[in-house]
Amino acid sequence: MTVTLTRPPATGGARPGAGGARRRLVPRLDSTPRRLGAVLAALVAAGLLLGVVSFAGVRQRAGLIDGVTTRGGELTVAAQNLYRALSDADATAASAFLAGGVEPAEQRARYQADVTKAASALAVLAAGREGDGGRDDALATISAQLPVYTGLVETARVYNRQGLPLGAAYLREASGLMRSQLLPAAQQLYRSVAADLDRGRDGGAGFPWFAVLLGVATIAGLVWAQRWLTRRTNRVFNIGLLVATAAAVLLILWLGVTALVAGARLEAGRVEGSAQVDRLVEARVAALQARADESLTLVARGAGGDFEEDYVAMMAQLAGNDGDGGLLALTAGQARDPRTGQAARAAGAEAKRWLETHREVRELDDNGSYTEAVKLAVGPGENTTSARFTALDESLADAIAVNGDRFQARSRSAGRALTGVDVGVVLLSALIVLGAALGLQRRIAEYR
Amino acid sequence: MRRMLAAAGALAAALAMAACGGGPAALPGAADVQAAPMPVGAKDPADVPTADAADTGCDARASLRPSGELPKPGSMPAGSTMATIAARGRLIAGVDQNSYRFGFRDPASGELTGFDVDVAREVARAIFGDPNKIQFRATNSAARIPSLQDGTVDIVVQTMTVNCARWKQVAFSTEYFTAGQRILVNKASGITDIDGLRGRKVCAAAGSTSIVNLAASPAKPSLVSVPDWTDCLVMLQQNQVAAVSTDDSILAGLAAQDPNTAVVGKRFSDEPYGIGVKLTSTDLVRFINGVLERMRADGTWNRLYDKWLTALGPASPPPAKYRD
Repeated sequence: MTVTLTRPPATGGARPGAGGARRRLVPRLDSTPRRLGAVLAALVAAGLLLGVVSFAGVRQRAGLIDGVTTRGGELTVAAQNLYRALSDADATAASAFLAGGVEPAEQRARYQADVTKAASALAVLAAGREGDGGRDDALATISAQLPVYTGLVETARVYNRQGLPLGAAYLREASGLMRSQLLPAAQQLYRSVAADLDRGRDGGAGFPWFAVLLGVATIAGLVWAQRWLTRRTNRVFNIGLLVATAAAVLLILWLGVTALVAGARLEAGRVEGSAQVDRLVEARVAALQARADESLTLVARGAGGDFEEDYVAMMAQLAGNDGDGGLLALTAGQARDPRTGQAARAAGAEAKRWLETHREVRELDDNGSYTEAVKLAVGPGENTTSARFTALDESLADAIAVNGDRFQARSRSAGRALTGVDVGVVLLSALIVLGAALGLQRRIAEYR
Repeated sequence: MRRMLAAAGALAAALAMAACGGGPAALPGAADVQAAPMPVGAKDPADVPTADAADTGCDARASLRPSGELPKPGSMPAGSTMATIAARGRLIAGVDQNSYRFGFRDPASGELTGFDVDVAREVARAIFGDPNKIQFRATNSAARIPSLQDGTVDIVVQTMTVNCARWKQVAFSTEYFTAGQRILVNKASGITDIDGLRGRKVCAAAGSTSIVNLAASPAKPSLVSVPDWTDCLVMLQQNQVAAVSTDDSILAGLAAQDPNTAVVGKRFSDEPYGIGVKLTSTDLVRFINGVLERMRADGTWNRLYDKWLTALGPASPPPAKYRD
């Protein structure tokens, strides 16, 4: 396009018989029509470049935000589910064991549901992976060790049904495998997916500096062209160039403002949604591990000192040493909305009651009242540690669901901020090109 | 024809190269995955405790002579350790919950049962006239001596070997059971005694005398330790060790849980079991020895042996020895 526009003045002004075309190359631009042609070419090129850069930038950011939204809805949830399903399987297998020879059907069903959930979450994560080496290792570990884990649990179950102490030894080994390999790998996966999400969000929230600078340069070029024309032609306004300038200003403003709005909404989604969710998920898993520890201490029948130590450590992480600190207090203190704060405080109060009831369980077991200790840990009723744990877990689950939804909503609204911007910048840059072409073509025509 | 030969030669060369080029590429991460998990707390190689079994500066079997007739249940001498226990209303005994047939929790009833548990109940019967006035605390091998020393338990009846080094830390009753260290192997392994374990891995519970004996044996097997004896059977079943070695009494309990294993070889150690008591509670030691005398005499010992340990073959109560 530039070639066809510049060629007519160039051939029209060719001087016959002139020596040394090379020397004439610069002097050729001396004549006004040729200069007009060059200015026109430059403005058209700037307008086109601006259009292409802005369009590509908007599409890229919209794509990243879309990725954040869908990944927030799929991979993050899958990683969370995997992490939770695995820790829940660990806790459920241990407490089912305490019931005696035959585990309660309900707990058996819950364990099986956990294994199924973990397997399907694993499938989602494997399909959605992005060649990240660390994540591949974690996926390989979980894929390889999950069947080994379930095998150990089944072996434990068979021996337990025969009334043999060997069953408890297999269960301890299964839980050890869960804690030493499966849960750390699941945590690594969760972190890797969350880091991807952060990267996507940072990209989506980025300000289109290059497009905006290019736009400012285009406007400067248009203003300079108008002043130059005014000096040459004594005409104050060139309508075409004015339209082009207005289009360029509008384009930059639209691009900049929408980028800022989308960025702010994404940041709000992070602060109010995913950062809170991270803490809540961590708290929930700590609670599950503490629950498994409590049951395993009883299953271990006197050899459970390590599990009890782990329980103390997990509860300290969850709720501090006295039930007033830890992740739950942190979540309550930094809660961005009343529901999360309320849920975290409710969970904290439950954790405190759990610690008290747990002390009673330990006292009973340490004093030889094993059967009573087991009843207080896994039995029915409202004052068991089982009831405390369930209430705590439900508070956290509610809070996670609420925050997850909010994060999704924010991300989607960030995506909406960019709706139509891609088409808009194309139209506006077409207007810049058209305005510059029409405005200058008429001046060029006056010289023919 | 020559072209065909050349083509055949090229094909053969290509096949040879392909064969040298190795199999399919390894899957990512597959190499890092362990073949089989190990019990929590397994140590390979094991820490060998200081060789306290070598301390032979005493007659370990000799305990304190009972002081006359046993007092009647419910009327313990004033100021004695037994009177303190009677005032509390229950005897506190440290037992194992995982030694099949000696001390274990019946998964169906949830109750502690076994030979050691019943011996402890006899002591409670002598103090209270009721074998159920007893509180059991599950302790593992390593915790037996500390819990006697700090008074957490009154007595320990937990397959505990009497030896001179331990006599410096706690007191013991007369011998109530005689065991000896042997090995438990897979029946199909072809191993018949400890010499067959040269350079192989053998499992034992951490802190037990069995580890010390193994380390001192001429076969010098590689030692692996775990927190609990049942963990050793898990490792044997997972082919992670070639044998488990400890007192035949414990091994018989493990063999009973897996018919594919057998206790083989000669006894290569002498393990007299005694009831552990706090070093300073000599009155309680004399009292318990009186209870054991009565059990030997009135057939209680044989009744308990027949109830739990017939699998170990016929036996009679070990005779009492005293140092006065």
